[in-house]
Amino acid sequence: MNAAVEPILGRYLTLKVGDLTHRIYFEEAGAGRPVVLLHTAGADTRQWRFILNDREFTASRRFIAFDMPWHGKSFPPQGFETVEYLLTTEAYLQTVLAFCDALALEKPLLVGCSMGGRIALQLAALEAERFCGFIAIEASDFQPAWYDIDWFDRPDAHGGAMGAALVSANIAPQAPDTERWNTLWMFMQSGPGVFRGDLSFYTRDDSLIGRLSRIDTRKTPVHVMCGEYDLTCTPQDALRTARAIPGATIAVMTELGHFPMSEHPEAFRPHFVDALSRMPG
Amino acid sequence: MGVDRQLLRSKLDRMATALSASAHLGRIGALFSETVLIDVEGAEFYLAFEKGRLVSIAEGPSLKTPWRFGLRVKHDALRKFWEEVPRPGYHDIFGLVKYGHARIDGDILVLVKNLRFFKEFMAFGRVGEVP
Repeated sequence: MNAAVEPILGRYLTLKVGDLTHRIYFEEAGAGRPVVLLHTAGADTRQWRFILNDREFTASRRFIAFDMPWHGKSFPPQGFETVEYLLTTEAYLQTVLAFCDALALEKPLLVGCSMGGRIALQLAALEAERFCGFIAIEASDFQPAWYDIDWFDRPDAHGGAMGAALVSANIAPQAPDTERWNTLWMFMQSGPGVFRGDLSFYTRDDSLIGRLSRIDTRKTPVHVMCGEYDLTCTPQDALRTARAIPGATIAVMTELGHFPMSEHPEAFRPHFVDALSRMPG
Repeated sequence: MGVDRQLLRSKLDRMATALSASAHLGRIGALFSETVLIDVEGAEFYLAFEKGRLVSIAEGPSLKTPWRFGLRVKHDALRKFWEEVPRPGYHDIFGLVKYGHARIDGDILVLVKNLRFFKEFMAFGRVGEVP
């Protein structure tokens, strides 16, 4: 038999965030202390597929990943057809909190990558009591764009294909081809303007810089992780960010890039084991 | 180490041959008919692409050859870019740019619209001798 059913379960929930109602898709696996996983810009929960399928991880923790509105299998809100999607820090914060409330998650561990890591650090500064700890992967205080975000939403070109070609710069050469291309496929599938709208949040909002010193790692630990091949959040960016958070720990990961859990899960795994060991069980 | 134009030229010729043998890049590059300048510390090569194939390489310097976009790159950085497993920062043309080893001139939007095609073409240099 060649078929293998994975233990991941996918469901939908309806979430009200501000004036907007979202139909949110989420996946989960495991039982125990909840861990909420936040995907990068321009992608979706599939980035976490190897974590959710890892029975050693899920034996003692409940891992939950959701697609942000506009991403993956979560619809954009009603009326999207006339809206310019631009993610804001406030909307992102409220969406994560509303999702945790909707599932009645008690002090989950928050894990985010890239823009997900950025918002995890924002929550560490602003809403720490709601969580038990934070793992911020490929996350930093701020990055101005080294590209033009408008490239990725044009009527005369495929924004997803261009976005994938751009972010391929962030994948380490050691990544196995299958997972490299699976990682890029998510960007190729991203809806028109979504990657651009995410990048607007990521490259224009520098409000985290002044908030990092508020984070109290004695109450909620913070662990920062960064792949050495990441051109978007470089190890220098991650180190600068971790140093601004008293008590934060950091791991610079060799042979990995900006999507470590997705591009090269085998190489990422020991780093993630280490990260989890630093968090409340 | 100075730039050996002959070695670079033979490398580009081999990359052109590899491109010709690539079915998927022929498909992805089907709309790419542009001249691209590769400038390695003053050693200029004008690469004429036609429908995703590299049909001619003219050596400069030339002030009368139009080109759509150009990659101006330091020789040592290009050598590192073409290593079989490049080091961090040398693994992508935008890494070279970000860390100040290269610059892209001209119509960068044309490059971005054909980014996968051009990156995979440049990566053909990772096979064989590094000039």
